[in-house]
Amino acid sequence: MAEAKSDLTAAPNRFTSAVKSLRSEWLGLAVILLLALFPFLFGWFSGTSVQDGPSKFWQGQLITFFIMAVYAMSYDLLIGYTGILSFGHAAFFGGGAYAMGLFLTHIGPKIIGSYKITIGSADITEVLVLVAAIFLVVVVVTLLGLLFSVVSARIKGVYFAMISLAMAEAIHILSKATDFGKWTGADEGLHGVPVPLWLNPTQHRLLFYFVALAFCVIMYLIARRLVDSPTGRVFVALRENESRVRMIGYNPVTYRTLSFVIAAVIAGLAGGLFAIWNMGATPSMTSALTTINALIMTILGGIGTLIGPILGAGLMQIVGQFFYQWFGARWPLVFGLIFIALVLFLPYGVIGTYRLKRLEWKHGWQRLRELVAGKR
Amino acid sequence: MRQGFFRRNATMVIVLGLIAVLGVIGWITMGQQPFVRTALSGLTIGALYFMVASGLTLIFGLMDVLNFAHGTMFMLGAYLGWQFYTNPTFLFGLFPLVLALLAGLVTSPILRGAFMHLKVSEKAQKTIQTAVALTGIAVIVLAVRGLDILGLAKTAMVATMTMGNPLAEASAQEPLALFWFRPVLMFIAGLLLATASARPGDQTQVVYASDKRRAWIITGSLLVLTVIATVFRESAPNAVLLWNGNLRFFAALVVGALCGAGLGAAVEVSLIRPLYIRPLYQVIVTLGLAYVLRETIQVLWDPLAYQMTRPPMFSQPGKAENILAWFSGQNLTVDVLGVTFPSYRLFIIVLGVLMVIALGLLMNYSRLGMIIRAGVQDRTMVEALGINVRRVFTIVFMLGAGLAALGGIGAAPFIPVQPNMGDAFQLQAFIVVVIGGMGSYSGAAIGALLLGLARAFGDYLALKYSLSPAIAEASTVIIMAIVLLVRPAGLFGKKE
Repeated sequence: MAEAKSDLTAAPNRFTSAVKSLRSEWLGLAVILLLALFPFLFGWFSGTSVQDGPSKFWQGQLITFFIMAVYAMSYDLLIGYTGILSFGHAAFFGGGAYAMGLFLTHIGPKIIGSYKITIGSADITEVLVLVAAIFLVVVVVTLLGLLFSVVSARIKGVYFAMISLAMAEAIHILSKATDFGKWTGADEGLHGVPVPLWLNPTQHRLLFYFVALAFCVIMYLIARRLVDSPTGRVFVALRENESRVRMIGYNPVTYRTLSFVIAAVIAGLAGGLFAIWNMGATPSMTSALTTINALIMTILGGIGTLIGPILGAGLMQIVGQFFYQWFGARWPLVFGLIFIALVLFLPYGVIGTYRLKRLEWKHGWQRLRELVAGKR
Repeated sequence: MRQGFFRRNATMVIVLGLIAVLGVIGWITMGQQPFVRTALSGLTIGALYFMVASGLTLIFGLMDVLNFAHGTMFMLGAYLGWQFYTNPTFLFGLFPLVLALLAGLVTSPILRGAFMHLKVSEKAQKTIQTAVALTGIAVIVLAVRGLDILGLAKTAMVATMTMGNPLAEASAQEPLALFWFRPVLMFIAGLLLATASARPGDQTQVVYASDKRRAWIITGSLLVLTVIATVFRESAPNAVLLWNGNLRFFAALVVGALCGAGLGAAVEVSLIRPLYIRPLYQVIVTLGLAYVLRETIQVLWDPLAYQMTRPPMFSQPGKAENILAWFSGQNLTVDVLGVTFPSYRLFIIVLGVLMVIALGLLMNYSRLGMIIRAGVQDRTMVEALGINVRRVFTIVFMLGAGLAALGGIGAAPFIPVQPNMGDAFQLQAFIVVVIGGMGSYSGAAIGALLLGLARAFGDYLALKYSLSPAIAEASTVIIMAIVLLVRPAGLFGKKE
């Protein structure tokens, strides 16, 4: 260990810091590498093909995990970092999903049918439609986020929790209203959304797996950058003491709006990807249960951290799969009980508790080592 | 004097006046029959909204707890009342277990006195506490496991019923030779949990002799009740089923409300109370609770929708000419101002009005109501005056949950009994509370009236312009937005 350090000090400063940051992030990098290699490793160990069978199934599970992780992370930006108790997050997720689904179902085919855009000989119409759909998702959820933040500028705390729930529920009701059944499919939702062929999640599962993984990693990096930036510090300050933030000279409304819009856009993009992954959008994506799921994932992993919600989503997705096998269709009951126990006894979640107790454990480990090996 | 009255109740007068003006306009434009029909159904929904919202607003006003499990209480009340009405076997089988557990739990002061002086190191105290509590939970699981809860729930569904005279059949209970060990185990579990809560070895506690004496008396009487409940567990359902359907229905109303109240008390003591220092987690824990209770209901009763039959009092065929004629005929429908309206819904309106009056009397003319109102104004001051606010919290939570459960069983005969039946009501109750102002029970009444009417007339308008009722449901959010823009604290809320 000591030798490696002295080696590095000789290297140029910039390189050192890069390597240093790489070294401090080695665990994250290892996990990403492991996840990237997962389909191949799984195929290799189980002796099945990467393209189908159990490998394909577990790829699917992980894809859902990646998307839900981003969704839970965006929720934590709001509730954990900015301290806004919002129960309307499903509106962003579902709004993104519906925007993507509606565009691809009703407008996409028309464009593809009547126009052909090429660069040289390559036909890029489909790609452009997808880009336009993503753009539309961003616009729609930005508007939704602005709507919510306008309300949150006037109403605070628990009042806002109720109102955000009511607003999300209104959107949920509209998403399954029969009046728009022609477009949204009412109760049934949108099904069989014409996804570009090269991105079809059933035919090109492996590609989609990497798309989802890249999406998750990129969104994490963006969120991380945001949280570490001065703006992110103001978010945390808003959570801790709003009047002091105002006194220092920051406008709380601006920052709350910013936080809302960013969280909404990330959640909406997750929703859009989820719509492509499911090749559809259903009213359940806008329901209160979807918000509660985000909340459970966040609390489970650790509120006020970025890794926490990702871990929580992973636990819910992967452990939930096993729970489903053990307890049958009512596995959420077990999960809910664990959730309540966590709230009562482990309020900082898995990551939060780890960070709290890390030093304690480190000391304990050192003492143990000293006991075993004798004093150094 | 008169002027003072108007000045004090300006908001109330303005809102009621607004409703009256809109009503006159509606009467003229819609014609008598549609107007009366719509207004009556609005009142029915409003009465149910009030039952959910009043508890919510009191709980929030007094202890700042936003109870997301309130709609679940509504749903539970409906399930338990319906179960009592159709097939009480399940409830009577569960009753001794609950009593035995309670008997164990209330021994806490006695055990505290006994174990306080044990010499236990401070570190070990916590470990012992956790270990004993976990053992207690394990014993509960042991006692309930194998209990034929699922089977009992299934038999409730096949209970045969005939129109007008619901005839349910009680299914067989577990033989006493097998059953008796369950209450005993439950009692032991209660003792273990009480030991854990008594914090053995913690010598900083104080035990009053009066508390101890009371604990002895309560434990003894609860144990006697347990024995009685265990013995009569088999004959009681049969006896209840032999009752007249109307009597059974009113008993079901009481049982549903009581079960809801009991559950509310249990929730407050076990889940909400440890979290008063972390308000955010209170909200989250109630969300988790709603999730768990809904799943539990689905385990016990399957995620199906059931329909509770109306009690015979409201289901005789034919139409009563007026309300007086209904008393003798007990018909399905009543003619109100030329409109054929279900008599049961009129009963709900009456129940709602009675609840408004009863709550008003309780809040304005009783000591408890005085403490609650004072607590809503300034909790710390009430505490400083030497009033045990924590106990009042429990009572208010009980009251609120009981009211919601009563609303649930009241609604059961005309909306499907299903696991998510409370969600819509909870949402609308939130809106009612926001409109009325947090902590104001009269605000909840006015808000419920306003929203109920808005829903009914919204549905009417939606139907007229061939839209779906969903639009009307979503548009209540707009009413909320308007009220909040004018008065951010709600119509009757305290200003911040």
